[in-house]
Amino acid sequence: MGSIIEIQGLTKKYGDLVALNDLTLNIEEGEVFGFIGPNGAGKTTTMRILTTLLKPSSGKAWVAGESVIDNPRAVRRNIGYMPDFFGVYDDMKVWEYLDFFAACYDVPPNTRVGMIDDLLALVDLGHKKEAFVDSLSRGMKQRLCLARTLAHDPQVLILDEPASGLDPRARIEMRELLRELKLMGKTIFFSSHILSEVADICTSIAILEAGGLVAYGDMAEMKRQLRTHRLIQLRALGDLTPVQEFLLRHESVESIITAEGADIPSDSLRFDFTGDDEALSQLLASLIAHNFRVVAFQEETGDLEDVFLQVTKGIVN
Amino acid sequence: MTELVQEPVIQKKSFLQRLRENPVAVKELRSRMRGRRAFVVLTVHLLVMSAFITLVYSAFASAASGPYGPDSRGVGKVIFSSVLGLQVMLVIFVGPSFTAGAISGEKERQTYDLLRTTLLSGKAFVAGKLVSALSYVLLLIFVAIPLQSIAFLMGGVAVIELILSQVIVLVSAVTFALWGLYASARMRTTLAASVVTFAGALFITVGVPVFVGLFAMILSPFFAGAALLSWQVEAALMYVLMFLAATNLPATLIVSDVALVQEGSLWYFNTSVGGASGASHTIWLFSPWPLFLILYILLSVVLFYATVRRVRKIATQ
Repeated sequence: MGSIIEIQGLTKKYGDLVALNDLTLNIEEGEVFGFIGPNGAGKTTTMRILTTLLKPSSGKAWVAGESVIDNPRAVRRNIGYMPDFFGVYDDMKVWEYLDFFAACYDVPPNTRVGMIDDLLALVDLGHKKEAFVDSLSRGMKQRLCLARTLAHDPQVLILDEPASGLDPRARIEMRELLRELKLMGKTIFFSSHILSEVADICTSIAILEAGGLVAYGDMAEMKRQLRTHRLIQLRALGDLTPVQEFLLRHESVESIITAEGADIPSDSLRFDFTGDDEALSQLLASLIAHNFRVVAFQEETGDLEDVFLQVTKGIVN
Repeated sequence: MTELVQEPVIQKKSFLQRLRENPVAVKELRSRMRGRRAFVVLTVHLLVMSAFITLVYSAFASAASGPYGPDSRGVGKVIFSSVLGLQVMLVIFVGPSFTAGAISGEKERQTYDLLRTTLLSGKAFVAGKLVSALSYVLLLIFVAIPLQSIAFLMGGVAVIELILSQVIVLVSAVTFALWGLYASARMRTTLAASVVTFAGALFITVGVPVFVGLFAMILSPFFAGAALLSWQVEAALMYVLMFLAATNLPATLIVSDVALVQEGSLWYFNTSVGGASGASHTIWLFSPWPLFLILYILLSVVLFYATVRRVRKIATQ
């Protein structure tokens, strides 16, 4: 599969302020791409350029092979955009809202009726078809807006903070919906502040800070690359002091965290290991050889928050 | 990059068909005519018009001193002028009030970006907004036609007077509505757009005649004292005044009607100018309405395309 979104050296300046600095990204077709970064990092600016709402100061971008600068209309045909703040019309019914946007996307009138029913079923709003949009809850409005982005069956969905302001239940529903869309083959490019959510559904991520790209790549690969230290949790029977002393003598063990200093069980300890898998396996073997009664020995997987904290410097808040 | 996405084959539609299917016009009309509000406004409008005409008739009848009651031709003329005056107020103030918030309202509701990422063209967007606003204003004008017909029962009003006045009012309605739309596209808020719209409408309708009047008052002592104006200068001044009349809706209606009724000509009439020599010269003057229609149609076209350009523009900020 080829790149469906290509960004080359994208820069956006507002006077002296550099909102986006030489951003280069490639997003493959069918990916769920998480775009994360603190407020003011340039996420929304990137999305507004990709959705043809904003002109970049320099650089180029293509969506589905169409230049966002030279052929915005063709780009619009291929994208569904959900901004972070979006309005709804007060005196419109749910089906009228979708019908209106479908008409704006040149969907023929005879195909709209069935399409609206399908979209409402997808976002679980079929029962609200005749309700007025302003009577819907925030979560429902968000789902309706997502349905709107699908009205013309675009290849790419660009969603700016799709789960912001939602309660936990609505967030879960939104996440499930994104999974569903991924299964439908849509490429989803979305920004979020909720890192666990991004980690749950993304295939790739990019971390942006102060307009610059600080990390970018496949989700699992990134976690691995960014982790220079490995945290190993060990549980053993009997007194742990000799185990600690043994570990501290090992060249790859940097430090040890015991139960007193951290939220770990009293029969366990955690140590910082700098070696590779081979060294780790040898360490376990020598522990056993020295008759330490090891019950559990496992590596703790770092989450996206660790990655985020490691690569960002807190320049922008 | 992926392969180019093929544009779907679009069937050619007639202008009227496109207008009828314009999603913005359909949405706006649906919202505007929904519920009781539109019908209440319509009823109140007709009641006010009827009360006004009754008042005018009563005032005219009680003031009549002839043995056979009021002169019915005079009453007819007054009713016609009164209804026309109300129509002019509608066109100058009510029409633009609908359009002044049409685009800025989308910005305030945060629906503008959603629309701009659709395939809706700038022309279709502006035309939809214009049609929906004008439709309601025209409805208010058309429902008053039966009241206008009372003037025919009374006599004193020719069919050509009615046709001419309605053509002038209709063209003005389009121009003033487009002025409101243009201001709405330029301004960020509806309040600012409304201020600009009404300031412009007041300037062209009231400001220009007031300035001309003040200018004439300032210059009249000079002219009277000097009494040296040649008949050519006097004629030139007459032409300038006729041109200024052709830029002003009430002045055009009044002068065109005077030319039609008193001079018996739809297109032109003559008048005498004296000059310093004392000899009388006859000059031909054109009725202002053709020039008014040309100017206002041209202004409408300019405003329409300026608004479309503004709406199409991709933001740089």
